[in-house]
Amino acid sequence: MTVNTRAATQASRSPWQIGIPLVWLLLLWLAVTGMAQLEGFFRLFEPDVRSVIYSRVDFSLLLGRHLFVVAIAALVTITLGLASGIAVTRKKGRDFLPLVSQLASMGQTFPPVAVLALAVPVLGFGTLPIIVALMLYGLLPIVRNTLTGLQEVDVGIKEAARAMGMTSGQILRQVELPMAAPVIMAGIRTSVTINIATAALGATVGASNLGDPIIAGIVNGNTAYVVQGALLIGLLALSVDSTFEQVQRRLKADESPRNK
Amino acid sequence: MIELSHVTKRFGDEMAVDDVSFKVAKGEFCALVGTSGCGKSTTLRMINRLLEHSEGEILLDGQPIRDFDAVQLRRRIGYVIQSTGLFPHWTVARNIGLVPRLLKWPSTKVHSRVEQLMHLLGLPVGEFAHKFPHQLSGGQAQRVGVARALAADPDILLMDEPFGALDPITREKLQEELRALQSRLHKTIVFVTHDIDEALQLANHLVVMRAGRVVQQGTPLELLHHPADKFVESMLGGVERGLKQAGLTRVADHMLPLSPTLPAQSRVPSSMSLRQALSVMLRDHTERLTVVDPHDMPVGELSMRKLIREPKADQGHDREH
Repeated sequence: MTVNTRAATQASRSPWQIGIPLVWLLLLWLAVTGMAQLEGFFRLFEPDVRSVIYSRVDFSLLLGRHLFVVAIAALVTITLGLASGIAVTRKKGRDFLPLVSQLASMGQTFPPVAVLALAVPVLGFGTLPIIVALMLYGLLPIVRNTLTGLQEVDVGIKEAARAMGMTSGQILRQVELPMAAPVIMAGIRTSVTINIATAALGATVGASNLGDPIIAGIVNGNTAYVVQGALLIGLLALSVDSTFEQVQRRLKADESPRNK
Repeated sequence: MIELSHVTKRFGDEMAVDDVSFKVAKGEFCALVGTSGCGKSTTLRMINRLLEHSEGEILLDGQPIRDFDAVQLRRRIGYVIQSTGLFPHWTVARNIGLVPRLLKWPSTKVHSRVEQLMHLLGLPVGEFAHKFPHQLSGGQAQRVGVARALAADPDILLMDEPFGALDPITREKLQEELRALQSRLHKTIVFVTHDIDEALQLANHLVVMRAGRVVQQGTPLELLHHPADKFVESMLGGVERGLKQAGLTRVADHMLPLSPTLPAQSRVPSSMSLRQALSVMLRDHTERLTVVDPHDMPVGELSMRKLIREPKADQGHDREH
């Protein structure tokens, strides 16, 4: 968040910068479709085992499921995080501000593994427990950044908005949210990126995703599987993260735009 | 017209504004003056209901302001603050057009109104319309702030130390422009300031406040001639009161016919304030000045000796009345 806004503005216009997410996406696609071509490379890790390329489930299917879990969790956390962040910065909800920020912090101090262990008896094996764990884990960055972003809006600006005769809804939509957008977006970026990595834990409770090759590799002592899973998760995280970075730059550029 | 009668404002146990009453007639320029924390800003913010008053009554054209919907009321009242409060993510033009858009004016009308105001405030449209607030100087930003406040052509303008953060030269320039603007637009203005000179220069009604109460109110000359107590006297500059008084009268009011003797070397325009003329006398080491008209033609003279012998102008020439 310390990036100089003017530099960011210029950067967002250079095609080189915009190309970064595309490069990561291309690498991800190549890895998903062409993992088998790298058999020779993975043979180096495990010269003795029969199979060095994870093939129980197609990589593209694993990627799809992984994205699905992260997307559902993100949708819920963004909605919940924004709503609660907005609610407790309003006059009526101000009393709940400390409570909400504490709850969100607790969500993150609670290790996702522990959430999984506790959620499985209640929700059963499968995708649901990992979504719950991701929601709890991803909520804090969004809530915290929504709060920070909204609280950072200058008091004088909010007062002027009120004095001009804007309703509180107009102030929120036209002044507070646009001004807080870059900070909120940074929170969403952190949350989603962390969850892409954390979602792999779902494989331990039967949610099939890119964590599968890693868990299978650990169980069978096959390092090549582990590397494949990690590689795909890493590339996915980089693709999503750099896409968010571009969005964030665009937001900042909108906020403090160019000279004529 | 704005009328406050016996208005108080309490924050918990603290009495921020205590039994304040004053009237601002239509087209009048009223200044609330006092040291910081005297309740002048609080008083101002009660007029557009940014704060609700605890007791007493505030009337707008004879109607209690609580009869109005607060949001609608604020759209009828212009508001200018020291920090400008411009929206940083909006262009100058969009900032100025805010209230007309809130009032759902058609966009062509908003557009032409914005351009009209930019002309009025000396902001070339081509240069400034698409700039953002962070690209403006303090003075330019405050002009935009004033333009925004005037956008929907409100009858009333509330100004909370609008020029307080500007450098002295810019401040003086904007004060001068505000005065010129007011002589054309005849808004009803309530202006909060801690700068007594600013208040004396701009306002025709002064309300001096201290610790939440009104200490004295009246025209600038009334206050200068009869300060109610030591506080008002020191507020008005103590021993320098004489000079401040001179600052409010024009050379033309004290000018004598040209004497047949040799005219004095130093010349001053008749529109100059007496204070500035006195300064010229001190600078040029002379006790006589030649007064000239705008075409530099001598029209009279000013003599220090005669000035001092003038009768004490108790019912002095009040500039505005």
